[in-house]
Amino acid sequence: MTKKDFEFIDSSKKLDKEQIRPSLKYWEDVWRRLKKNKLAMVGIIGIVLITLTAIFGPLLTRYTYYEQRNEFINTPPVLQIYQIEEDAYIYLTKQYYLLLVTEKGELVERLEETSSNTTLRLKTYDYLGEEILINYTYKFSTDPAYKNIDFSVTYKDVETFEKTKSVLNRTYPFGSDSLGRDVMTRVMYGARISLTVALVATIVNLLIGVTYGAISGLEGGKIDNVMMRIVDIINSIPLLLYVILLMVWLNNRGLWTIIITLGSVYWVGMARLVRGQVLSLKNQEFVLAARMLGVSKTKIIYRHLVPNAMGSIIVAMTMMIPTAVFTESFLSFIGLGVSAPQASWGTLASDALGGLTNYPYQLFFPAFAIALTMLAFNFLGDGLRTALDPRLRKG
Amino acid sequence: MSSFFTYWGESNQLGNYYVKRILSALFTLFLIATITFFMMHALPGGPFSRERALPAAVEAALNAKYNLDAPLLVQYTDYMWGLIRFDLGPSFRHLGRTVQGLIATGFPISAKIGILSVLAILVFGLPLGIISALKQNRPADYMVMFLATLGVTIPSFVIATVFLYVFSGLLGWVPAFGLTKFSSYIGPVIALSGYSLSFVTRLTRSSMLEVLSQDYIRTARANGIPEWKVLYKHALKNALIPVVTYVGPMIAAVLTGSFVVERIFSIGGIGRYFVDSVGTRDYTMIMGITIFYAALYIIMVLLVDIAYSFIDPRIRLGKKMED
Repeated sequence: MTKKDFEFIDSSKKLDKEQIRPSLKYWEDVWRRLKKNKLAMVGIIGIVLITLTAIFGPLLTRYTYYEQRNEFINTPPVLQIYQIEEDAYIYLTKQYYLLLVTEKGELVERLEETSSNTTLRLKTYDYLGEEILINYTYKFSTDPAYKNIDFSVTYKDVETFEKTKSVLNRTYPFGSDSLGRDVMTRVMYGARISLTVALVATIVNLLIGVTYGAISGLEGGKIDNVMMRIVDIINSIPLLLYVILLMVWLNNRGLWTIIITLGSVYWVGMARLVRGQVLSLKNQEFVLAARMLGVSKTKIIYRHLVPNAMGSIIVAMTMMIPTAVFTESFLSFIGLGVSAPQASWGTLASDALGGLTNYPYQLFFPAFAIALTMLAFNFLGDGLRTALDPRLRKG
Repeated sequence: MSSFFTYWGESNQLGNYYVKRILSALFTLFLIATITFFMMHALPGGPFSRERALPAAVEAALNAKYNLDAPLLVQYTDYMWGLIRFDLGPSFRHLGRTVQGLIATGFPISAKIGILSVLAILVFGLPLGIISALKQNRPADYMVMFLATLGVTIPSFVIATVFLYVFSGLLGWVPAFGLTKFSSYIGPVIALSGYSLSFVTRLTRSSMLEVLSQDYIRTARANGIPEWKVLYKHALKNALIPVVTYVGPMIAAVLTGSFVVERIFSIGGIGRYFVDSVGTRDYTMIMGITIFYAALYIIMVLLVDIAYSFIDPRIRLGKKMED
């Protein structure tokens, strides 16, 4: 090999043969992988939508969550209406209140009941001086011919059996409850309560759990031992029992009672998780370096250890929020929730239980909202866990 | 000789482990009883102070009868002493009945549903999880995972009410309340096991998938070991370890889940009593049932832990793995 085999090349033409991937910061990388996960994205969109509805929904409806209208109680989302005049339709509620309805499904007023004969099962109502007769013997008839007919409407001597049509309830899109309150507004308002409870309780849990776990892990030795025994003891109690006990003890049905109760009980899991992370991090060089420089323990915890454990903390958080929603609804259901007229999804579901046979929609909407929230957070949590899993971090 | 000493050393360690676990369980129970007692006694007003006030003399007599006029510490030692003899005191609302008597009536009923639910969780949850893992990304897997996801997202009280509405209200297949027929167990068991069943299914699936991707499974397959043997002898055994860990929380879920399920299905079990006593502020009942539940839970978890130490020797030798 001689010198002429080599030639100088122009330094500006230097080729960078190594293909370097753009350098991504940790969270950019996580986000990139999270974006590929369709279910997680669905979860995020769901959470954003639910949150937006909770914040702005109650502002946009015509009703407030406590506004009661006695004349329109227990109206379902879909109305079976009977035409009596050109532009006048009627709807009979399950409690035999006769409502005047427009063709589009707007509730106008409740017609006055003029007479009621419970033996013959006849009721008459007054419509602009004319009499409307409702005959509801058919509901109890054993004749197969009337199997699907509950009642007949007689107006101006014409008896009708068949409903004219079904329309959506325009006044109350999700129906109204047993006090004539708008179910839609209440479900949206319930979202506020349920989500606030879940979010604040999770943050309280986070603060207690992270601090406790980090101190325990960092200090090590006897302190760690004692602190972890306490965690073990708390962990060996069915926590829901203690939540109930605390609720009874605090004896105040406000929103804050629930938040404090949930927040003060469920931090144990978080503490364990953070301790484990801190244990694996605390002997690494960057912590040693920080110690050498005389950084205080508090600062080491919050500037060095916690940010490095953030991944698993966030996953735990996304899983904690639906658990809190669940627990809150559970508490409300056994009568330890927020007090009326405030309502969370749990109280709404609990209230709907009594009239379930006749008004199943009152249970359906809050239950659906709970399930949707659970689903969205579960999707996001699963996605985040996968995105943050170091074993799956390739390419 | 040396093996003899190792044997003794190990069994000593083993004995130590169990003794330690039992002692700490007892200590926990004592702590729970103490906290519960002082929490219930720190409440303003006694059990006999109502909206309509009783004459002072009557209230004093009642307090004396139930020993409520004694100093708090005396009451506490009395209560703890009673606890040792399974005497939980009289109920303040169910007149003339003791708390332990009420628990004795209610518990067998709750236990029946609870045991059936745990059985349902194991009998359906494990196979479904395994099937789902083996048929990963096939229709069967999607189907199972869909159901399992529904199971963890829908609260038990919704499952219970919808079940009642459909099968009792609309179809009339099962009785609406009580446990009169065999078919009336179906609803409570579904509602009670729904969440844990779904959770166990998901856990089994993911743990099975993880084990199946391990090198030793590949090696076993490469060695020509029959597939069923690879699955059941090598994979399943290891895949079940995380599932066994979940048994503790599962017991808690089944126990506390019965609060609402018993209320909805009008079953006169202990969960129903608990919810009722919370509603009526029957303090001795709340106290008694809390302690009873906690004891039950602790004993179950202890048993599971001891069983677990046989499955996974890493635990009993004191090398507790960090979470």
